[in-house]
Amino acid sequence: MKRFIRTIASFAVIFAALAGQAADLTVFAAASLTDSLKQAAMDYAKHNGQKVVFNFGASSTLARQIEEGAPADIFFSADEAKMNGLEKKGLILPGTRKSRLSNSLVIVVAADSPLQLGSATNLTDAAIKRIALADPETVPAGIYSRAYLQKLHLWVAIEPKVVPTDNVRAALAAVESGNVEAGMVYKTDAAISKKVKVACEIPPAEGPDISYPIAVIKDSGQIDAAKAFLAYLNSNEAAKVFERYGFIVLK
Amino acid sequence: MNLLLQKISLPLASFVLEVDVEIRNRVVAIFGPSGAGKTSLLDLVAGLRRPQTAFIRFGDQVLTDTSRGVRVPARQRGIGYVPQDLALFPHLSVRQNLLYGRKPAGAADRLFSLEHITDVLEIQSLTARGVLDLSGGEKQRVALARALLTSPRLLLLDEPLAGLDTGLKAKILPYLARVRDEFKLPMLYVTHNPAEVSALCDEVLVMDRGRIISRSPASESTWLKQAEV
Amino acid sequence: MNAEAWQIVWFTAWVSILSTIVILPFGLAVAWLLARFEWPGKSLVETFVSLPLVMPPVATGLVLLQMFGRRGFIGGFLHKHFDLDVVFTWRGVLVALGVMSFPLLVRSARVAFEGVNPRLEQIARTLGAGNFRVFCTITLPLASRGIVGGILLAFARALGEFGATIMVAGNIPGKTTTLSLAIFQSVQLGQDPQAYRLLAVSVVLAFAAVWCSEWLLRGKKH
Repeated sequence: MKRFIRTIASFAVIFAALAGQAADLTVFAAASLTDSLKQAAMDYAKHNGQKVVFNFGASSTLARQIEEGAPADIFFSADEAKMNGLEKKGLILPGTRKSRLSNSLVIVVAADSPLQLGSATNLTDAAIKRIALADPETVPAGIYSRAYLQKLHLWVAIEPKVVPTDNVRAALAAVESGNVEAGMVYKTDAAISKKVKVACEIPPAEGPDISYPIAVIKDSGQIDAAKAFLAYLNSNEAAKVFERYGFIVLK
Repeated sequence: MNLLLQKISLPLASFVLEVDVEIRNRVVAIFGPSGAGKTSLLDLVAGLRRPQTAFIRFGDQVLTDTSRGVRVPARQRGIGYVPQDLALFPHLSVRQNLLYGRKPAGAADRLFSLEHITDVLEIQSLTARGVLDLSGGEKQRVALARALLTSPRLLLLDEPLAGLDTGLKAKILPYLARVRDEFKLPMLYVTHNPAEVSALCDEVLVMDRGRIISRSPASESTWLKQAEV
Repeated sequence: MNAEAWQIVWFTAWVSILSTIVILPFGLAVAWLLARFEWPGKSLVETFVSLPLVMPPVATGLVLLQMFGRRGFIGGFLHKHFDLDVVFTWRGVLVALGVMSFPLLVRSARVAFEGVNPRLEQIARTLGAGNFRVFCTITLPLASRGIVGGILLAFARALGEFGATIMVAGNIPGKTTTLSLAIFQSVQLGQDPQAYRLLAVSVVLAFAAVWCSEWLLRGKKH
C-alpha cells in the first residue's frame, strides 16, 4: 500500500512539474483593456515566449469569479473597489498591487447618427430615448458614469432611460447596433470602434477619478511568471502601448 | 340509383384500383376478399381519397372529374358513410354523435327525423349515454342512424356486420333490411359474406385485386361460383 | 422577499403567460400541418421549428437581436412605421420567450394530433363538417390533453428562459428583468440570500408546471 501511494505521489509531482513548466498565464482583465492588453501580451511573448491567456469581462464579474476560486494569476480591474474587495478577502499577493492606468469617459452615438450632444445635459433631451451604460450597480464604467451624472444632478432624469449592459464593451455594441440613441463608455473604447463617434468628451478634470489597479492573485500557480509579466506591464514599453490606445498611465 | 364510376385509377399497396362501371340498381353489394380495394372504392365515392384519375357522377351531378380538376368536397356530396370501424366520436354523447351531421333546420322529410330514425333502429333509450358504454350491436345502429340523419341521397356501408358474432349478425340484419325498405335510399354495401348479399341486395359486383371481375343480380344463385375464378 | 423581487416574479409570470398565448395559434397550426400533411420541404420546416431547441439559446438570441433590432428586418420596419422598439423592452422578452418555447409546444401538439384517428375527421366531413368545424369539434377536443401538456411545457420553458432573453431584452431593472436574469444578477452582486429566494420561487413554478404537464400527458394513454 505504501509503495502504491509513493508511486502515485511521484506521478503527481512529475505531473505538477510538467504542468508548471511554461504554462499559460491567466489574466482576468476589465473589458475596456481588451485590445491594449492583447497587444502588450503579444509583445511580451516576443521577448520570452510566455503565452498569456485572457478572460475579459466586467471587473465585477471577474472579481466574483476569483472569489469563487477561478484560476486567475493576475487581476487587472477597472476600479479600486473591486480590488479592495479581493484584498479584504486576502486573495491578493501582498506587495504586488499598483494603480496603473486611468481613463476618461465619453458620450458616444452611432457613427451615422444625426444627433448632436454638446454636453451630458443633452442626455436628458427627448430625442434620446435610451442610453446604454455598463451596469451602474456593479460595473466600474457604469459606476463612474453614474457618479458623474449624479454630480451634475442629471441622474434622476436619465436613470429611466438607462439600458444597463454586462460590461462596457456591451454598451459600446449597443450604441453600434443603433438600438440605443447614445451611450457612455471609456474614451479608449470609442477609439477602437469605427461604428460610433464621440459626441462629447468628459474632461478628466471634471470627470470621476478613474483608476485601474493591477495585482497578482495569491493562489496563482505561477507566482514568478505572474510577477514577471506584472513587471512588464508596469514597464515603460508597456506604457507606450497603453498610451497608444488612449489610456492615461499613472506615475 | 345512377352512379357512374368511370376511368377510376388509384394505386394501392400492391395493385392499382381500376374500375369502370355504371350502377343502376338500388341496393348493390360489392363483394370480395379483404384487401381487394373495396374500402378504397367507397372512400373515392365519398370524396375522402384523391384518385389518380376518375370520373364519378351521381345522378346528374359530377362529383369527381380529374381531367377538368373537378372534385366536390366530401362535406358537400350528401353521401352517408358507415365505415368499418364505425368511427363514432368517443368524446361526444350518443345524441351529439347522432345530431352531428344534422342541419340546423332539421330534416325536411319526416322520414329522416330524429324520432323516426331512432324508432326504426330502436336506439331511443341510448341517446343520453356515452359512446364507449355501448355494446357492439348498439354502436352499429348508432353509426347507421348518424349517417341517416344527414338525409343522404346515397348510403355507403363498409362491412356493417363484420366482427359481430352470428347471433348479433342475425339481430342487426333486420335493421338493415328495415333501413333499406323504409328509406328507399340507394346503397353500396361492401361485404365478404354471401348471406348478406342474398338477404339485402339487388345486385352484386365481385371485386378482386382492384378490379370488378363479375357482376350479376343477387338473386342468381350462381354468382358466387362465378366469382371463384 | 421584498417588493422588487415580487415585481420580478409577477413580470416573469405574466410575460411567460402572454408569450404562451401568442404562440398558441401558430404552434397549433404548424403542429397540425406537420401531423396531417406531406409536402415538399416539410423536413425543412421541421428542422427550422426545432432549431431553437437545439441551438445554444444565446445563439438564437443573437439571431433575434439582428432581426428585431432597429437596423433589423423586422425591428427596422416596426421602428420606422410604428415607432415601436422590441430590443431592450418587454416586447423583446416576449419574443425571446415565445421563440424558445415554440418548439416544445409544436412537438407536443403534433404528437397529440397524430394520436387522433384521421378516420374520425374523415367521417365528420361526410357528415357535412367543413375543415374548421372538424378541427374545432373533433381534432382539438381529442388532442386536448396532449395540447394542454404542451402548453404547460412551453410555459415552463418560458419561465426559465435566460440566454436569448439577455441578448434581446437585456437586463433592465423593472422593465425586462425576469426571474432567471434576476438570479444571475443577484449572484453577480454577491447577494446570495436574494439569489436563493428567487431560485426557490423559480423551482416551485417550474416544478408545478412540469408536474401538471406530465400528469396530463400520462393521462392521455388511458
